[in-house]
This record gives sequence, structure tokens and C-alpha cells, in this order.
Amino acid sequence: MPRPTKNKYCIILICLVHFFGTSQQNKLDSLKNELQTHTLKDTIRAGMLIELASEMTYSEPNEGFSFIEEAITISKKNGWIKGEALAQRQKGNLYYVLADNLNALDAYQQALSLSRKIPDKQLESSILSNLGNIHADLKEYDRALENYRAYLETSQAMGNRAEEIKALSNIAIIYNDTENFKEGVSYLNKALELAKQEENDLFIAAVTNNLALAYKNLGEHQKALDHYKEAVAIAQKIDNKYIEASALNSIGKINVLLKNYTVAETNANKALTLSKEIGAMEWEADSWEVLSKVHEQNGKMAEAMNAYKKHIQLRDSVLNEEKKSELTRKEMQFEMERQQAVANEEIKRQQLVKNIYLIGAILLVLLAIFGYYIYKRRRDELEKKKNAEFNAKVSETELKALRSQMNPHFIFNSLNSISDFISKNDIQQADDYLVKFSRLTRAILENSEKKSITLNEDLELMELYMQIEAIRLENKLHHKITIDQDIEPNNTLVPPLILQPFIENSIWHGIAPKKGDGHIAIKIEKEGDMLKYVVDDNGVGQPKKNMREKKSNGSFGIKITKSRIDILSHIKNKKGSINLMDKPEGVRVEITLPLELQF
Amino acid sequence: MLKALIVDDEQHCIDRLERLLRSSTHNIQIIALCKTIGEAKKEIAKITPDILFLDVQLGNETGFDLLSQLNSIDFEVIFTTSYDKYALKAIKFSALDYLLKPIDNTELDNALQKLRQQKSLKEASKKIDVLFHNFKESNASSKRIAIPTVEGFTMIDTKEIIRFQSDANYTHIHTLSRKKITVSKTIKYFEDILDENMFFRVHKSHLVNLGYIKTYTKGKGGHITLSDGIQIEVAVRRKDELLKILRT
Repeated sequence: MPRPTKNKYCIILICLVHFFGTSQQNKLDSLKNELQTHTLKDTIRAGMLIELASEMTYSEPNEGFSFIEEAITISKKNGWIKGEALAQRQKGNLYYVLADNLNALDAYQQALSLSRKIPDKQLESSILSNLGNIHADLKEYDRALENYRAYLETSQAMGNRAEEIKALSNIAIIYNDTENFKEGVSYLNKALELAKQEENDLFIAAVTNNLALAYKNLGEHQKALDHYKEAVAIAQKIDNKYIEASALNSIGKINVLLKNYTVAETNANKALTLSKEIGAMEWEADSWEVLSKVHEQNGKMAEAMNAYKKHIQLRDSVLNEEKKSELTRKEMQFEMERQQAVANEEIKRQQLVKNIYLIGAILLVLLAIFGYYIYKRRRDELEKKKNAEFNAKVSETELKALRSQMNPHFIFNSLNSISDFISKNDIQQADDYLVKFSRLTRAILENSEKKSITLNEDLELMELYMQIEAIRLENKLHHKITIDQDIEPNNTLVPPLILQPFIENSIWHGIAPKKGDGHIAIKIEKEGDMLKYVVDDNGVGQPKKNMREKKSNGSFGIKITKSRIDILSHIKNKKGSINLMDKPEGVRVEITLPLELQF
Repeated sequence: MLKALIVDDEQHCIDRLERLLRSSTHNIQIIALCKTIGEAKKEIAKITPDILFLDVQLGNETGFDLLSQLNSIDFEVIFTTSYDKYALKAIKFSALDYLLKPIDNTELDNALQKLRQQKSLKEASKKIDVLFHNFKESNASSKRIAIPTVEGFTMIDTKEIIRFQSDANYTHIHTLSRKKITVSKTIKYFEDILDENMFFRVHKSHLVNLGYIKTYTKGKGGHITLSDGIQIEVAVRRKDELLKILRT
């Protein structure tokens, strides 16, 4: 990108005029002497310090900072805002020369706000211009334009034409850099007009030179040549060799393009001489480039080669300089990006913390909802349990009523059989029967108060009952009780006398009418969490012919037992059942109950 | 030859017992048959019987009243009753013998058999003391219980007992004084006769005095710690009922 770089040289050409007039070693020395005599920390010393640092800008910029810092301290102490602003601007200049754009921007910004506080338009405009320069360097064209426009406005407000011209030129250069040549030309023309009104030849020369470049870029070679020639004329008039050399080189280049090699050579040689005189290596390189092309066209290959070598050497050293500053610039940019990244990281971190808090809060709310849900469910469950307990109580009361209903029924059946027995048998057997009956009755009386007794106790009662009935049937009744091995009779709880009505049924409707001996087998098994009684008899079976008979077959006791099992099933929430089945010989009854253990 | 006295206010009961005793293989001589306490007192003073068959319910009075009016008891007592839950409990507490009416021949035989094996008559007097103590003492928690042991009988205040532990057909009784008494009775026997407000069966093999439960620790069934520091497991199926009792 050689073109914008060259353009920038033109800007600097203008700016430097503003920064310092003539750099003279003796001026530096005299300032230093004065400082030594004037040790009082007042505004005069501050002014001298700023001036000294300003003198050192190009010769020894690194040394300038200590003076500037002192100037800032003194100005602050004395409340001299302008002094502080000037010092900050000079600090910016020092950084700028050292290519430390970041710190330069910082210092200029401070100077700008200070100058606005005073207010001092001139100072403000100069700072705006410097800010624009740095942004242009950083290729931040939008911000550069912004600053230059503000610079232009303040200059116009002050009525300072010179500043206005510079502002217009700088805006034009930005347009050229962004290849908006037409806009550039228009701004340059405005600047040129003003410069002519002012009759400021330096500005006329510089602007004309830039205008020529813009035309060249637009491809209007003749117009460009005319402007360059004019620039050369004015430069010679004011003896400005920088502009003259630059313009002569440009004329040479255009002539090479127009194949006017002799003219090109003449101009290039002039430019070369001037460049050497002022030590401007870049223009010297340009001159050699033009000469090399001219020699080549003229067939002087050795000379062309020589010129080309010189061009390359000079260009390389210029490029090295540029590269160095480019490198510094890159470093600065990198540093800026790094800081930006750190800031972004911090923002991200804070966002993360915020998110974590948010998630935490949401989780907390969810947890609370969940907790309430659990609490509610538990409460409902307790409520349910309470209801169930109440229902159980009601059911138990009903059960108790049923049990007490059953006993008289059983007792009267037995009394009936005693009467029957006495009328048929002798006294000794009647007595035996009676003792057993009283024992059974006593046991039934005691147990009917209990809602459950152990299986063992219940089976003892059944045993006793069957013994009594066996006596009555003149020992034609035989029975057998089998208990599954995985049942603990002492630890299993059963409702008392649940089997009795079925056994009674088997005896009186199955075995009594039968000819010969009858057999009742009681089996007790475990089926999952249910207890199963199986009562088998080999009696005559249920009467089948007569429907009415069949209906009446379900005795009062069996009906009560059915109700008891229903209520028990309800309390335990497990379905108990009663099944009556006809067999080829006799009847089988299966009763299942919820298995209940004592321990 | 043992001298027997029958006290009953109903003639048919006297007749039945008399008939059974006469046909018994044991050598029993029936000396007197009495229907009232007054008659009985006179007869006892006169004939000094070896066995007294005593009906619990004698009209408006009880067999216990008769015993309490005697200066000394140097005979065995067998109560007869048809149905009296509370009297039976008291009799069982004192380890005295009893027969349920109508009296069964086999049971009478067993009672007489046991009587013959009795070591001395002193035991009878002791048992009756326990009976009277329990009758006089209205406080349910300070009942005395006669415990049959190998040597004879030990009388213990129920509040002296911390717990019963079952060991097949034997039961170990642990007392406050850190004594361990082993009895050849099932734990169920004690559970049945002891006041259910005072003792609770927390486990198949443990019957504990509710007054000595220090803490209950939660768990499947949980466990309790008694005042002597012993920890006892609570059966899962007993947990709810135990907690209900402990809360009240």
C-alpha cells in the first residue's frame, strides 16, 4: 500500500509545521539554562517545561516525558488548566512520535476535555486535528473523519483560515485513502480556494500537490501534471524543497506513464538532487525508480540496473522504518485487543455469575414447589390413613356385632344336639359330651371378644367342636387337620371360628345323611400373602334338585361368615373369598383370607 | 389318705364333685360338705382338712372371703368356678390351682396329681398371701405374682420385673435387682395373665414392662432401650401399637 503512506507524508508535512517551527539545538540549551535558574514551581516554569518538551519532540522524545509530568503537576497545583491541557497535548505528541498511539490517544482525550473546560477553541481544534491524525494512522477512517469535521467546525467558528485549510485537506486525504477521489478533489479545491484567498503560498503548494495526486488517481494525467507544475513553481518561490522534490518525482512518474522519457529523466534528476539535499530517502527512492525506467527505455541497461538497485536499497530502508512503526502499531493494536478481550471476559464472567444466581433462584423455587408437593402428598396420605382408620373402626364394630350374633346361633345348635344325644345315649356319654360342650362354650365366649386369635388356638377350638360332633354321630365322623410347613400356627392370626359354619354344614348336610363313615379334611395353606383354608368332605354333597332347598342351604352362619370376610377384606384392602364346589363325592369349600402375622 | 372338704353353695355341684372324687383312683376321704362360709369355718377348725375344694362364688360372698377369715391356712386350696375371668386371673397370679365347672374327670385327676407332688404346705400359705395382697392392692401396677421355680415358688412384685424373655418353652424373667429367674412357662402364659396396660409384647420373644422403657429409636420396627440399658428389637407388626401406647 505505498500510496496512502505517501499521502500521510503530506499530512505530516502540514502538521509538523504546527507542532514546531525550527528545531535548533541552541534553543534547547537556552531553555535548559533558563529552567535551572527559574526553580520556583509556578506557571512560568510549567510553560518553560512544556516548551522544552516540545523542542525535544523529534530529537529526543523519550527525555521529554519527565519535563511534561512536572509541567502537569505544577499546572494542577496552580489550577492552570490551559497549562495542563497544553502539557497533555505535548505528552500526546511525544507518544505519537514514539508510535505509541494508545497512550497518545489517551493524552489527547485528556487535553481535549481540559481545553473544552477553559474553553480554548484554538487549542481544541489543534487537539482534534491530532486525534484525527492518529485515527487515520490506525485506519479508523470514520473516527478520523469525525475528528477532522469537529476540527473543521472549530476552525470555522474561530475564523482561523489556516486551520480550516488544514482541516479541509485532511478530510480530503481521508477520502483519497478510502478511494473516494471525487469527494477528495472537491475538499481539496475548497482548501485551495481558501489558501489562495489567504495568499498562503506554503498551503497553496501543499494543497496543489495533493490535488495533483488526486487527479492522477482519477486518471486525469494532464490535469495532474498541470497541478504538479504549479506546485513546483510555488515551492520554488517559497523555497520548500520537500514539496518541490515530491512534486518533481510525481511529474517524472506521470511522464514515464506518458512515455515522455526525456522529460521524466530531467524531473527525476532534479528531484534526486533535492531529495539528497534534504535527506528524504523515500523521494530519493522514487527518483531512482523513475530514472531506472527511463534508462531501461533508453537501452542503458547497466545504468537502469544501477538505478533500480539504488531504488530498491532506499525503498527497503524506508520500508524497514515503516515496518518498525507498523510493528509497534500492530503491538499497540494487539494490546488494545487484549484489553478488550479481558474486558469481554470480565463481562462474560459477570454474566455467568448472574446466570448462576438466576439458575439458583429458579432451582430454589422448583425445590420449594417440589417440597410443597411432597408435603401436600404426605398430608393427603395422612388424611387418607385417618379416614381408613375410621372406616376400619366402623368395620370392626360391625364385625363385633356379627361375632356376637353368631355365638347364640352356634350355642343353640349345640344345645339341640345335646338334647338329641341325651335322648339316644346313656348317661356316661351324655356327661362326657356336656363337659366338652361347656369347655367349648367357655372358649367361644372368651374368644368372641377378640378380633383375632392364633391359628393354633382356633384349630384347638375346631378340634374340640369336631370331637363333640363326633360323639353325637356315634363316632362315624373322622377328621384330619393339615397345616402347611411354611405356616407358623403360633404366629398366625385368624378371625376366631371362621371355619365353624362350613364344618357344621359338612357334618349335618354332608356326612349325617350319609350311610357309613364320613371324613372331613381341613388343609391350611399359604398363598402369597393370603391364608387359604380348604375343607373337603366325602358327604352326600349339596342338594341339587330343589332350588328352594339349595337356597336355604346357605345357613345363617355361612351368611354371617361371608359378611365377616367381606369386612376383613375391606379393612386389609385385600380380596378374601369363599368358594363352594361340588365334587363327585362331597363338597369342597375354599376360604382365602389376608394372612396376618402376630410378630 | 387325704382329708377333703368341699365348699359350694349349689347342691348339684357338690354332688358331681363328690361322685368324681369317690370314683377317683386317688385316695381321698371326703370329710365334710359345706354350703356357707360359716359352716366351712367351723368344719375347717374341727377337722383340719388337707384339701379344700372352694367355690369362688358363694351366694353374696366369695371363697376368698372365707380364706381371709381364717387365722392360718395349712391345707391346699383348689378353686372351683364356672366362669369368672377376674377371679381366675387372680388365682393364676398366685399360682393356685382351679377347676372349671362342670368339672372334667381328667382335669380333676391332673389337679390331684399335681397336689401330691407339692413339697410342703408352706407354699400354699405363701400363695394365698399373694392372692390377698393382690386383692387388697387396688393399684394395678403393684400386683404380686407367684413364680413357680425348681425349688418352689418365688413371689415377685410386678413392678420389680423389667422384662420377660422367651427361650422356647422357658421364660427368663429379668428383675430390677438384676436377677434372672428362669421359669418353665411360655411367655404367652405371662402375657395372658399380666395387665396389658403394664406389660407389652414388643417381640415374639420379649415382653417388657412399659414403665421401664427409656427411649424408642426409629427403624424398620425400631428398638427400645430399657432402664437397665438393654436394647430390645421391636417387631415390625408391633411398632404401631407400641407407639400408640407410648404416646398416651
